[in-house]
Amino acid sequence: MADDVNIIGELLNQLQSPDFFEREEAVKKLGSFDSDEAIAGLVTALDDPDLGIRELAADFLSKTNSPIAAQLLIRFLGHDDIGTRNLAAEILVKLGSVAVDPLVENLVDEDHDIRKFIADILGLIKDKRATKPLCEKIWDDNINVGVSAIEALGEIGSPEAIPDLMKAYDEIEDARLQAVEAIGKIGDPSTLPKLYTFLKSDDPLVVYAVIEAIGHIGMEESVSQLREYLDSEDRSIAETALKAIIDISANNDWRLDIELPLKGFAEFLFEGIKQNDKRIIDFTLSRLPHCIDNNVLGSFIDILESVDEEVLSRIISLLGDIGPTISGALIKKMESPSAKTRLIVLDIIKQFVDDKLAGEIIKFSSDEDPGVREKIAYVLGVSGNKDAVPTLRKLAVDEVGHVRAAAYRSLGWLSTEQEADFVFNGLDDEYPDVREAAMGALIIIGGLQVVAKFTADLYHENPERQRLAVTALGMIGETDVVEPLQKAINHPEASVRKCALNALMRIHEGVDPAQLVIALNDENSEVRKAAVSALLSIQGEDAIPEVRFLLDDSDIWVKYHTICAIGELGVRRYGELIMPYLQDSQDIVRIAAAKALAQMKYSKALPILKSLNQNDNDDLAQAAGKAVEILEGVQ
Amino acid sequence: MDFTTREENGVTIMNLEGRLDLASGSALKEHVKKLFEEEKTSIHLNLENVEFINSSGLGALVSTMKEARIRKGRLTLSNLANYVQEIFEITQLSHIFEIYPTEKEAVNSYSQAAVAK
Repeated sequence: MADDVNIIGELLNQLQSPDFFEREEAVKKLGSFDSDEAIAGLVTALDDPDLGIRELAADFLSKTNSPIAAQLLIRFLGHDDIGTRNLAAEILVKLGSVAVDPLVENLVDEDHDIRKFIADILGLIKDKRATKPLCEKIWDDNINVGVSAIEALGEIGSPEAIPDLMKAYDEIEDARLQAVEAIGKIGDPSTLPKLYTFLKSDDPLVVYAVIEAIGHIGMEESVSQLREYLDSEDRSIAETALKAIIDISANNDWRLDIELPLKGFAEFLFEGIKQNDKRIIDFTLSRLPHCIDNNVLGSFIDILESVDEEVLSRIISLLGDIGPTISGALIKKMESPSAKTRLIVLDIIKQFVDDKLAGEIIKFSSDEDPGVREKIAYVLGVSGNKDAVPTLRKLAVDEVGHVRAAAYRSLGWLSTEQEADFVFNGLDDEYPDVREAAMGALIIIGGLQVVAKFTADLYHENPERQRLAVTALGMIGETDVVEPLQKAINHPEASVRKCALNALMRIHEGVDPAQLVIALNDENSEVRKAAVSALLSIQGEDAIPEVRFLLDDSDIWVKYHTICAIGELGVRRYGELIMPYLQDSQDIVRIAAAKALAQMKYSKALPILKSLNQNDNDDLAQAAGKAVEILEGVQ
Repeated sequence: MDFTTREENGVTIMNLEGRLDLASGSALKEHVKKLFEEEKTSIHLNLENVEFINSSGLGALVSTMKEARIRKGRLTLSNLANYVQEIFEITQLSHIFEIYPTEKEAVNSYSQAAVAK
């Protein structure tokens, strides 16, 4: 202890050194002590000529949590140097609650600047214990101290201050504004009746403050009081009233059941949206149909270029709901020089586009921007208007691939069989996206003509066309695709054979199983697997005699697949057929057999499955364990 | 194909089951048309049990959507099985239909839209 005293004494001397590094070291070391002497040393360092040392000392002092530090720092509030004064104030705010008592004690300082400074600091600390002393300070001889006390009471927010603040409003004319602001910040609804009477003040500044205060309090009942100010000739008052209503609306989850004359505030609201003011955005969106008409829609859409994606998508969706009432103005906006604006307009239109609107959009289909042409193709497809076909044909030969792809998709959505020949051209396009879009369109169009063309394409010289053809025929899925798909089981390309089998399995109706049997002997193992699935799916257990030889296929995955596919039928009497595979030399086959036997509820397999449950191969042991669980549950 | 119809929060929910092809597609169109005539314009189709859909079935859905647009109604879909989902992606029909992962999300979207209005 005595050592510490000596060390601190030396460090205090070191603080007077002309050498920066020595002083800096002294501050750092003092910061490691928590004695009053060390704190006093740190406070003196606030007077150091070097800013870095002053800030270092301030940093240590902020963390002391010591009322002594606060007491000592208060002396610095009267310092000649404004920088030091502010530094001391900053530390006092950071000290927070421990500084409140010393600050309150010094509210009687003879220097009014210090009293004002202390009131300001107490407001920033926001400790309710300061409420009463600050209420007393409202009546300080110096008006600046009184005003600071009022402001601080608003920051602290204790309703206990309300009677004094009301009295201040009545008795101190120069502090009315601050008193009203403080009342608003406290936010006590019981003050509203009195605040409504303050609205009658002759001073427009007070009226602004009262309106704002009412807004802060946020009670729905106040809207009827504020509503008349929306019609004020003083634009600032009208906008302040709207801001207050927006605050109230926010406080009530945007659910104000009251009509508001918002048409005149479009510019104000749009500016708020542009500035990304969240409250104004939410308010405007909650009442969009009441703010928007054909007159202001144009300027509204202009601001949408500067809002973020999330807000834009909400607005687009809401404008979609307003729909046809704004369609005239939307079409006009398609003449905007900004491609982004034109795209936004199309995003809105697509939500409610009808035949008439589609007819209007057609005239913009030569837009210079490919993104706009692409979206026009898309909107025309969504419209379902068959009059759009010639325009879509034009866009399907556009120089830009994305536009062509969109046009083909839309031709498909319009589902016009007469266009099948034309859409088939898309399969020759240089871009894969366009070829895929054309295929998708032809699947929707369907019909004999399309089936005939795809059937021919099954033997096209280009293997990709063969792949598209077999996929498309499978998805067209009508009875007239069955025959070409059955023939495709003998196709030279294994991928086509496999795809044909998968398609036939899904189509099911009208498929001749005898045609599929040949694929069980296919040279390609993937085709053999597809044949097993297709036959079992179409014929059920009747196909087992045909497929069972593949249980001994040379390809382990064909074996695996055949066991699983038979298992999925869940027919117990075929358990005997699968049993030997529990003792196969390959673990993967044994796993398949375990799963299949469980699905077949074949209890005779239990003894072997129990022994496999102890197998070193974790996957096999797990599959066997699961099968045991299922079979024991059955028993 | 079988379909059962019920009402929930003002939305007519149809559960479709089986194969959506030429015959069932026509029946679906007729049924939805009747609903529109009864002023039921919020219609949701749950496709969870649609095991197969072909070109005619897709055409029926597109035509039902067109009818909904003409009637200023709303048509949503949900619970698309993998294969149906695949067809919707290849044909890009997912762009013109409002598709939800679940029936609940689809039905909720109607009440959310009502609140927004």
